[in-house]
Amino acid sequence: MADRGRGFSRGRGAPGPGRGGGRPPPSSSEPNKNKREAILDLSKYVNERIRVKFTGGREVTGILKGYDQLLNLVVDEVEEVVNEPAPSHTRSLGLAVLRGPTVTLVSPVDGSEEIANPFLAQE
Amino acid sequence: MLPLSLLSAAQNKPMLVELKNGETFNGHLVNCDNFMNITLREVYQTSADGDRFWKLKECYIRGSTIKYLRVPDQLLDVVKEDQLRAREANRTTRGGPPGRGGRGAPPRGRGAPRAAPRGGGRGRGRG
Amino acid sequence: MSSLQGYVDHRVLLVLQDGRSIVGVLAGFDQKANVVLSDSKERVYSLEEGVEEIPLGLYLVKGDMIVLIGEIDDAVDSSVDLSTIRAEPIPPIRY
Repeated sequence: MADRGRGFSRGRGAPGPGRGGGRPPPSSSEPNKNKREAILDLSKYVNERIRVKFTGGREVTGILKGYDQLLNLVVDEVEEVVNEPAPSHTRSLGLAVLRGPTVTLVSPVDGSEEIANPFLAQE
Repeated sequence: MLPLSLLSAAQNKPMLVELKNGETFNGHLVNCDNFMNITLREVYQTSADGDRFWKLKECYIRGSTIKYLRVPDQLLDVVKEDQLRAREANRTTRGGPPGRGGRGAPPRGRGAPRAAPRGGGRGRGRG
Repeated sequence: MSSLQGYVDHRVLLVLQDGRSIVGVLAGFDQKANVVLSDSKERVYSLEEGVEEIPLGLYLVKGDMIVLIGEIDDAVDSSVDLSTIRAEPIPPIRY
């Protein structure tokens, strides 16, 4: 198990071309309607910091190292964002596997920021 | 009209997504799948209590966590027209190559016609 | 599920698990009872003032959030002056 996980992680960590081997290419006869392909291309986030939210409300950020079709993620330098009790703080979790089925939200940290109410201005 | 047809027609359109936990996301739909998992770009995220806001370049949302999506009104007409056109195309290509025939068969499976005459017996029994 | 077919193009009332009431025209649905509502409005009930209708437009509601779908009798519904109705809002479902 451990070996598989690790080899996998490394394979996925490799940039671009490495991906082709892992998964069969989308068949040309694929109907435009059925989206069997993953709609999220995680390869563009590899070695970038991403924010991940889970069912139940937990939230972490970390550097994406590997992933699979089920959205299981291998993430390094993980920081859990602890929002409760009140003063929001973080705790370090190091290297972690995030279970895909519990992931509810994935977004890149780069280009994301907390802002003032953007809807007031529009009204 | 199927909810998923509406959703796929909403690609590149602005929409509001509310999650079951009350958080909302305003952004343009990039992609979606049959689970209603979606990816959005240029997103404004609002906390459940409505007093914190974030700007995200893009995000992926698991379909099972979604409560509802609000989409532009005009999409309804777009999808209806698409369906009419597809039905028309289906009719003219009937009896074409077997491969497509199988998929084209839906005149029967496509919901409406089937449910009306047959629904009485079967549909009610199951519901 | 096929019983929803009879509601298509009719005005329906949706009650969601979070206690919201939404009225709109049922434009479509699927096996999971995901629902498309056009020209939808949220009806906000309170004890202090009359019912407020908030226009929402075209809505896609996930089936797992829906508690109730009911057909609206337009004659009865339009004979009700919502501004005179005082009612407690429906509380959300808690687990």
